[in-house]
Amino acid sequence: MSSPFVIAIPAKGRLQENAEAFFARAGLELIKPRGARNYRGTIADLPGIEVAYVSAGEIAQLLAQGGVHFGVTGEDLLREMISDIDASIVFIDALGFGYANVVVAVPQAWIDVHSMADLDDVATAFRLKHDRKMRLATKYVNLTRTFFSEQGITDYRIVESTGATEGAPAAGTAELIVDITTTGTTLAANALKVIDDGLILRSQANLVAARGATWGANEREIARLLLDRIAAQKTARAFREVRTRFVRCDEQLLAEAKLRFGVQSPFGGPTSSGMLTLHCPPGQVHPLANFLRQHGAENVAVAALDYVFSRENPLFARLQAGLGD
Amino acid sequence: MNAAPATGLATPDARAEGLVSGFVRAGYARLEPATLQPAEPFLDLSGEDIRKRMYLTVDPQGREMCLRPDLTIPVSRDYLASPQAGKPAGFCYLGAVFRHREDEPSEFLQAGIESFGRTDIAAADAEMLALGLEATGHYGLAVPEIRLGDVGLFAALVAALDLAPAWKRRLVKDFNHKSTLAHDLDRLVISTAHTRPEYQGMLAALAGSDPSAARALVADLLSIAGISTVGGRSVGEIAERFLEQATMSVQSSLPRETRSLIERFLAIGGDPDQAAAQLRGLAQDAGLDLDKALDLFESRTGFLAARGIDVGRIHFSTAFGRGVDYYTGFVFELHRAGMPESGQLVAGGRYDGLLTRIGSPAPIPAVGFAVWIERLAACGSAR
Repeated sequence: MSSPFVIAIPAKGRLQENAEAFFARAGLELIKPRGARNYRGTIADLPGIEVAYVSAGEIAQLLAQGGVHFGVTGEDLLREMISDIDASIVFIDALGFGYANVVVAVPQAWIDVHSMADLDDVATAFRLKHDRKMRLATKYVNLTRTFFSEQGITDYRIVESTGATEGAPAAGTAELIVDITTTGTTLAANALKVIDDGLILRSQANLVAARGATWGANEREIARLLLDRIAAQKTARAFREVRTRFVRCDEQLLAEAKLRFGVQSPFGGPTSSGMLTLHCPPGQVHPLANFLRQHGAENVAVAALDYVFSRENPLFARLQAGLGD
Repeated sequence: MNAAPATGLATPDARAEGLVSGFVRAGYARLEPATLQPAEPFLDLSGEDIRKRMYLTVDPQGREMCLRPDLTIPVSRDYLASPQAGKPAGFCYLGAVFRHREDEPSEFLQAGIESFGRTDIAAADAEMLALGLEATGHYGLAVPEIRLGDVGLFAALVAALDLAPAWKRRLVKDFNHKSTLAHDLDRLVISTAHTRPEYQGMLAALAGSDPSAARALVADLLSIAGISTVGGRSVGEIAERFLEQATMSVQSSLPRETRSLIERFLAIGGDPDQAAAQLRGLAQDAGLDLDKALDLFESRTGFLAARGIDVGRIHFSTAFGRGVDYYTGFVFELHRAGMPESGQLVAGGRYDGLLTRIGSPAPIPAVGFAVWIERLAACGSAR
């Protein structure tokens, strides 16, 4: 009980806001008892948990070293900064925010370059003509090297860049870049274009666990409680509750509804009086309501769900499987 | 297996010192280059794949530095910085190099020789192999397996072939990096699938026209768009390759005749005299002029024999390169006979292009080799 269970959260920007919102939706309110400028926090009604606010890159390192139990950060940083990722990290869930693609981009003026195969040829031609290798500016040194090696491209060299990478070709410090892009506007503003098959990674924020952290019975129990809430909220978000009652509501009708609308019946089939509760994907709510009324339902009530707690917890199961034993 | 003392510091012993004393007596001045080196020349010359094996750090000015992963580049840099730069000069060295290795210590000793500025190419090449053999002999291994290659022969073949420039680049690059090139030729395809369909009509129209007029047109179009030099490539270079694609779309895999010619070339091996005869035959059959490269090759064999090396014992292969793109000609490796998996004991070659790539204003011929001290010592003690 002496050392707390630590969750690392990005310390600034959209990533922090989105991460806090994600926990809040699961009923886990992150609070900073010592003031907003403090980099240590807790969770409102769950004792024994410490929230560490650190930079997104540092989170990857802490996870690799086992310095924290859970972390929220981009898959791009995890794959870039942790060499043997499967040995150090358990991916628990992709969180649906912080989307970014890691791509290879070249000057728009290179009208002869569309594919990585073109780039391979241009790289060799460049070396033969200029007696030096083409320079590629990036902060994703490892992702780049692995990707280029898979593509068989050898005539290039990496120039590490920690900021404003898109400006490197115009500044003359590199010929091309590997960087993250969401909409491509920054690349276009710098007269760069993405290579057609130059997508290295589709990244988003992930909730991950560190294998190297201490995982005793106490830590596992805290993880189970956290993941129980997160999973309950995740299921709740994926469904609407649909309730109705009518005489002709029977097992056959339920089977058809499951087939057509992907609904679930968490509390079993219709009662003897024809009372039925369904969980329906949001996009299917109206077709389902029509279907039920066509078969005799007078009223169909639809409500949002806050939580759906289940005996099974797929997220905790994933953690247990990933940690082993 | 490793001869490094328990402290982990790779320190030369008397036997290794004896080896370099021999190099000094042969006329090679001893150099002690700095352990800490700028990382750029190694990354530029050896490729990004070496990065994961290098020990990198950043100095207070933000420059990327490394513990030297070899001594060829440091010795070349010291030579270029010396008053002898550009003049014939020979150096030897002995010291630790640092390369991450899974099965052997990452800090290990290398001795070696680098010879700069000699224009008697064949004789200089032969002397390197002879001195390499002295090194194995110094450790009691008198008859190692000798593997010989000549990157210049493949370059001469590719230059003589009637092929699109993109194909020539591809072959030269793959020769350097693929040990299986001979088996891969039928699968070697230059993909034009990504060429934009909207460009096809224009490319087809340009394909038959006067090349210089077409180049001028593309260059004009780019300059109208306000593009001069972006990303280190000039408008002329971009236009030239854009137009090359017009011819490439018809020629997306190697012509059958060229393929079988390259396959036949890469299958040639044996001792250098046999190989030379076969290469002459191939050049004559195909009507290719490989005379210059072959004359050098045969002259080198003559110098090897004159140095008392039994040429019949040399395993020459046209397909043998060392996977390092700065080699330009003669390459060799010495192995313990029957134990190639334990790694090369001595290896080297000619690297005439390297000095300009690290800043020499004019090309300087260069050739040299390195000796893996611990491997040789283990090899000698295991006998």
